[in-house]
Amino acid sequence: MNISKIANLKFFFTKTKNLSKFLGYLTFFLMLGGIYWGLFVAPSDYLQGESYRIMYLHVPAAWLSLQVYMIMAFAGFISLVWKVKIMEIISIQCAPIGAYFTLIALVTGMVWGKPTWGTYWVWDARLTSELILLFLYIGIIALYSSFSDKRQAVKITSLLTIVGLVNIPIIHFSVEWWNTLHQGPSVTKFDQPSMHISMLLPLLYMFVVFNLYFVAVLIKRVQLGIYSREKKSKWMEEYLNG
Amino acid sequence: MIKTLFYKEFQNYFRNLSSIFLPLIFFFLIISIFPLLIGPDKVLLNKIVPGIVWITIIFTTLLSSNNFFKDDYNNGYLETFLTSDSSVEFILFLKIISCWLFTCFPIIIFIPLVSIFFNISMKDSFIIISTLVIGSPVLISIGIFGSALTLGLAKNSILVPIIILPFFIPILIFSASAIESVSSGTPYEMQIYILLALLVFVLPTMPYLLKYTLSLSINN
Repeated sequence: MNISKIANLKFFFTKTKNLSKFLGYLTFFLMLGGIYWGLFVAPSDYLQGESYRIMYLHVPAAWLSLQVYMIMAFAGFISLVWKVKIMEIISIQCAPIGAYFTLIALVTGMVWGKPTWGTYWVWDARLTSELILLFLYIGIIALYSSFSDKRQAVKITSLLTIVGLVNIPIIHFSVEWWNTLHQGPSVTKFDQPSMHISMLLPLLYMFVVFNLYFVAVLIKRVQLGIYSREKKSKWMEEYLNG
Repeated sequence: MIKTLFYKEFQNYFRNLSSIFLPLIFFFLIISIFPLLIGPDKVLLNKIVPGIVWITIIFTTLLSSNNFFKDDYNNGYLETFLTSDSSVEFILFLKIISCWLFTCFPIIIFIPLVSIFFNISMKDSFIIISTLVIGSPVLISIGIFGSALTLGLAKNSILVPIIILPFFIPILIFSASAIESVSSGTPYEMQIYILLALLVFVLPTMPYLLKYTLSLSINN
């Protein structure tokens, strides 16, 4: 099986129908398990008590918000250079999902901040750069939706996404440098993670589940994107009519 | 050739003198609205004036670069020079520079006058001017990039600021921090160096990016 066959819109649309359903159910049950693990099994924190448990939603969402952006930029790059149709759809359909993840990270962070910092919002480096990431996502979605020619729109938004990818580290560095109150990263310290393994495992598990969720939703959205682009084509009519 | 191109750009701006004066007048209007909103408190105003100046510069650059390519696109000049064999990147570079010269530069010249109005010390005024000189070309070129992205759209008035403002943030942070450092007496060289690095990175790469964006926008 070669790449061009997978990249074919018809192939993707017809073959992934059951896959997204299966992934959806799988994610649902795995997510239930992860929530049970994180909320009831994992030990409570000696400093923050029980309120730290929102991290099992907050941290994976924050990781995913960046990861989705990278996937979006990568797909956009491929669609600009090699004109792969499926990548155009994947690139633009990533944007709303990434925006949702950013929103989840922001809201859960605010909920966590109230008992811990005593306020919902502080103008701290990571919160601010996450907020700017949300604005980037919104800008990309707004730019895409204001074009009536969607192929042209994808080209332009892919370019904006790639330029944004260059800019994200600069924004992150500048904001970090501007003000830092957020606690430092406690998972990626390689020599000695400052988190106990019994707390870390559910977190990594949730990260995997969030990724599965992302793939399931992405496939569904890409199917919708293919439908709205190809609804007048012959194969789509034939497929839908039986 | 450089001379001719520059001459043409200058002619464009000088033919319509209001295009030079309007940004300047807009700048003064916004600046003088702030005391009306916040109250005539001298100490407070003195503290926030650098921020006000920068906000006004953002507005001015956004407004003046919003429909940057529209006329050239409508009368076909843009397609002609994109397909011509002369260096398109160089023409775009000249366009960025002349846009800066006729919108931001007049404002920067009048910053000392603003400093008198708001009772800002010579040293602070100097650092505001230097951050503006380094930062505003970057803002202008990013704004022009935004207008190139939205060239194919009929109406794009509010869209460009939404897309472009996140990209302004590094410049704004380092400029504000340099000004802050000077007025509190701490070293500010590092921020200026970072601003210079951003300028040196953005200005030469922007014409290439613009050329690619324009070719995407036009070939629809």
